[in-house]
Amino acid sequence: MRFDVSILVDYWSLLAGGAWLTLCITLVAFALGYLAGVAVALVAILPGWLPKLVTGIYIETLRNIPFIIILFVVYYGLPFSGIRLPATLVGTVALALFASAYYAEIVRGALQALPRGQFESARVVGMSPAQAMWYVVAPQVLRTLVPPSTNMTLTMMKESAVLSSITVPELTYQSLIVQGNTFAPFEVFAAVTAIYWLIAIAIAELSRQLERRVGTAQVHSILANPIAARYLSLDARRPT
Amino acid sequence: MGFNFHYLISILPDLFVAALINVRLAIIIITLAVVLGTMLTVLRSLKLRLVNAAIAVVISFVRGTPLLIQIFIAYYVLPVVGLDLSPEVAGVAAISFNTMIFVSESMRGGLASIDPGPLEAATALGLRPPLIWWKVVLPQLLRRLVPVLINEATIVVKGTALLSVITVVDVLRTAQQIASSSYRPFETLLGAAVVFLVLNLSISLAGKIAEVRFEATRT
Repeated sequence: MRFDVSILVDYWSLLAGGAWLTLCITLVAFALGYLAGVAVALVAILPGWLPKLVTGIYIETLRNIPFIIILFVVYYGLPFSGIRLPATLVGTVALALFASAYYAEIVRGALQALPRGQFESARVVGMSPAQAMWYVVAPQVLRTLVPPSTNMTLTMMKESAVLSSITVPELTYQSLIVQGNTFAPFEVFAAVTAIYWLIAIAIAELSRQLERRVGTAQVHSILANPIAARYLSLDARRPT
Repeated sequence: MGFNFHYLISILPDLFVAALINVRLAIIIITLAVVLGTMLTVLRSLKLRLVNAAIAVVISFVRGTPLLIQIFIAYYVLPVVGLDLSPEVAGVAAISFNTMIFVSESMRGGLASIDPGPLEAATALGLRPPLIWWKVVLPQLLRRLVPVLINEATIVVKGTALLSVITVVDVLRTAQQIASSSYRPFETLLGAAVVFLVLNLSISLAGKIAEVRFEATRT
């Protein structure tokens, strides 16, 4: 089996266009999904049982149905109610809807993990509610938000491949087109895999930069104990 | 054409029958993934530098690319290298491989939370490493991993819906077939959504019960 580079040379513009669309869709769905997620999380922490029930149903429904089915339901449901939109837009909105449930859980968890006293103490030392939020609460919430949010964004970027099934011309769709034209699955999927991988590494690197400010929890106690390190760690060098 | 609720109810039995395929495949995938994922974790704990470097690349690949692409690779690329698999087998292979990696990565986190005391005791008693793995580490690890594995199971069930794109006749493909003859795609796909909701909520509920049981046996 040979690796025929000429196929990739001939079709690089299709694949590059697909990769660009995948990036754009991910970015827009991230912005929309995060806004919706924050809104749902803010409702979820309201007192009383009704907000919790409604947001709980929203989150659990979206989290327990495969994204491909959410996508199809939105895609076929919108024309049903008389709205016709381009597939790319429908796909992006469906992706944002899907991600919003996960973002909502992340934001809710981060908000609830913060002791109430933080806000109240800030108020006591004379800060306005806005100042207390901005200088005291927000930095701490952001710190716990970064790792799970980047994880979810990575998941969402990968999930955008499913948009190919409603003919959104993103990377996976283009790869299937090229594969259909050339019958060279090896070259095509090697290239596409590499592109997705690069996008994922870029997002992960972005997250690492953000996390560096926070500092990560290292399990020093395990590495210091040779017996524990032998069984409980997968990374450390073999103890000498 | 208004929303037809009776039609939605009428197709649910057919969809639940089709869901048996998803359930069967999901059970095979989870079993394979847990067994292979455990073996992979033990292999990684040996800390052979070259092996671990190779595994790190595979992990990065699996975590960095869409599951759908991995399914396509199993379905389209493996035949090129002489492995002509049926759609079902290719799909099971792709999702199992993907889940195996995620199981091993969860285990890596789980291992960090295990108390080293019993390991030291077992080592002091002269137990051989394989026995320590089998009798001391894995029982604690798997018990700790129950919530993660339950969550992973719902992800696998959702993943089986993707196999419809490589022509496995699962819930989604059955729904599409029904929709193409009834011209009611919206209700039919809502039906498919209901089926997955029921499946995954049942798994989560079973998981909660299992967790309580494990909690009870531990104390």
